[in-house]
Amino acid sequence: MEFVSPEGLRLDGRRPTEMRQIRAELGAVAKADGSAVFEMGNTKVVAAVYGPREVQNRSQQLSDQALVRCEYSMANFSTGDRMRKPKGDRRSTEISLVIRQTMEACIMTHLMPRSQIDIFVQVLQADGGTRSACINAATLALADAGIPMHDLVTSCSAGYLNSTPLLDLNYVEDSARGPDVTVGILPKLDKVTLLQRISCRLCMTDTTGEYKGIRISTRWINYNEG
Amino acid sequence: MVGLSLGEKHFIQGGIAQDLRSDGRKRLTYRPIYVETGVIPQANGSARVRMGGTNVIATVKAELGRPSQLQPDKGKVSIHIDCSSTAEPVFEGRGHEELSTELSVSLQRSLLGGKSGSGAGIDLSSLVVVEGKICWDLYIDGLVVCSDGNLLDALGAAIKAALSNTGIPRVQVASSASGDEDQPEVDISDEEFLQFDTSGVPVIVTLTKVGKHYIADATAEEESQMSSAVSISVNRKGHICGLTKRGGAGLDPSIILDMISVAKHVSEKLMNKLDSEIAAAEASEDES
Repeated sequence: MEFVSPEGLRLDGRRPTEMRQIRAELGAVAKADGSAVFEMGNTKVVAAVYGPREVQNRSQQLSDQALVRCEYSMANFSTGDRMRKPKGDRRSTEISLVIRQTMEACIMTHLMPRSQIDIFVQVLQADGGTRSACINAATLALADAGIPMHDLVTSCSAGYLNSTPLLDLNYVEDSARGPDVTVGILPKLDKVTLLQRISCRLCMTDTTGEYKGIRISTRWINYNEG
Repeated sequence: MVGLSLGEKHFIQGGIAQDLRSDGRKRLTYRPIYVETGVIPQANGSARVRMGGTNVIATVKAELGRPSQLQPDKGKVSIHIDCSSTAEPVFEGRGHEELSTELSVSLQRSLLGGKSGSGAGIDLSSLVVVEGKICWDLYIDGLVVCSDGNLLDALGAAIKAALSNTGIPRVQVASSASGDEDQPEVDISDEEFLQFDTSGVPVIVTLTKVGKHYIADATAEEESQMSSAVSISVNRKGHICGLTKRGGAGLDPSIILDMISVAKHVSEKLMNKLDSEIAAAEASEDES
């Protein structure tokens, strides 16, 4: 299948290093301490943050830092075909873990010992890049909750199809099973907090190409949200 | 859940007794309702309903299926509700299942009618494509994004809005002379859509009993003080389509009768308000 036309345009009309339209909204969940809706094209996720608060399960309490927990779930109607999946399948457990580790790295957990911060991410529509959309939404929700952070994490995915590095894959491009990478960056500190490569067959020059594209896009996200 | 001090509890109960609740409403006044339609483009129909802090999404997906043997002239509708953990941290993991099931069952009772499919809010015979062979299966999925009381009424309103937003593709049956066992071939149009008649879909009014009085559209704080609640679904003709009682305390039968007549009165206002909100949402969706 041809993912990049001879004119250099992708299936949805974007250029290879062009992101989808992004939109963010804070305070979507009235009862949460912090919440955000984040959209990247047709991908739409809601994140809610509860805390810092008392640790629910005493045995998990940490005496020198805050406990960060995360749950990722997908709505039944989020994908094209209706699915009935129980919460806590392997994929969502893995993504929960990825989000938790990424957010834990940027929260100043040492300032809130013996407390707990819960991050809940709900996918309303999945059209590729849910992982990065969830991280972006979780960052915004944490910021909305006023939780001290070293920096705002921004995340984006990129892939490599038809010998072209493509930024911000949608569902069709994602299911082409080419190599893809999800990157999370702390832009002010200029550090990478998340790097996940799926599939192989990628030489180093391509990776740096993708990485450059992602850096540009994350700056752009920050500029837009600031 | 909601942690209230003794003083706050007295304040809520006292306010209800004096017909002036903590947010300034009277006992039978609803919070403002906001409806948005077409929020999930992948579904055949969808709507988001907000009432105060309560925020729910309902979607309708249609798939071609086979009618059941007992009712070859009727389509199938199923309702499934999920409570997102964004709404309440206790819904994490399997913590939401009890409430999700309770809400799903109540909505099925209120909207889908009896086992035979009679009395359903949606005309099930309009879902049949070829009798006994092909019909539309409607999957109604609800998601509670944020919960601040009165989830059942909000979900009922969201499903009503989502159904009126739903377009079912027109299906052409290929007229090939096939054998009795074969499924006929169908051609699904992606341009022509049929709309439902949703005027028969009831609205749900939940009356929550706090102390000696009962209130409409209770918030989460007020619900924490309830002794029992009765959910009554009423259609446009003023007929009662479903009745569910929750909560442990018993109710005097005369109070239930009283509640039904009050609910009938309240539902008229709610129905009109909802219809105008749905019409406004559809209009703004068409513009954009």
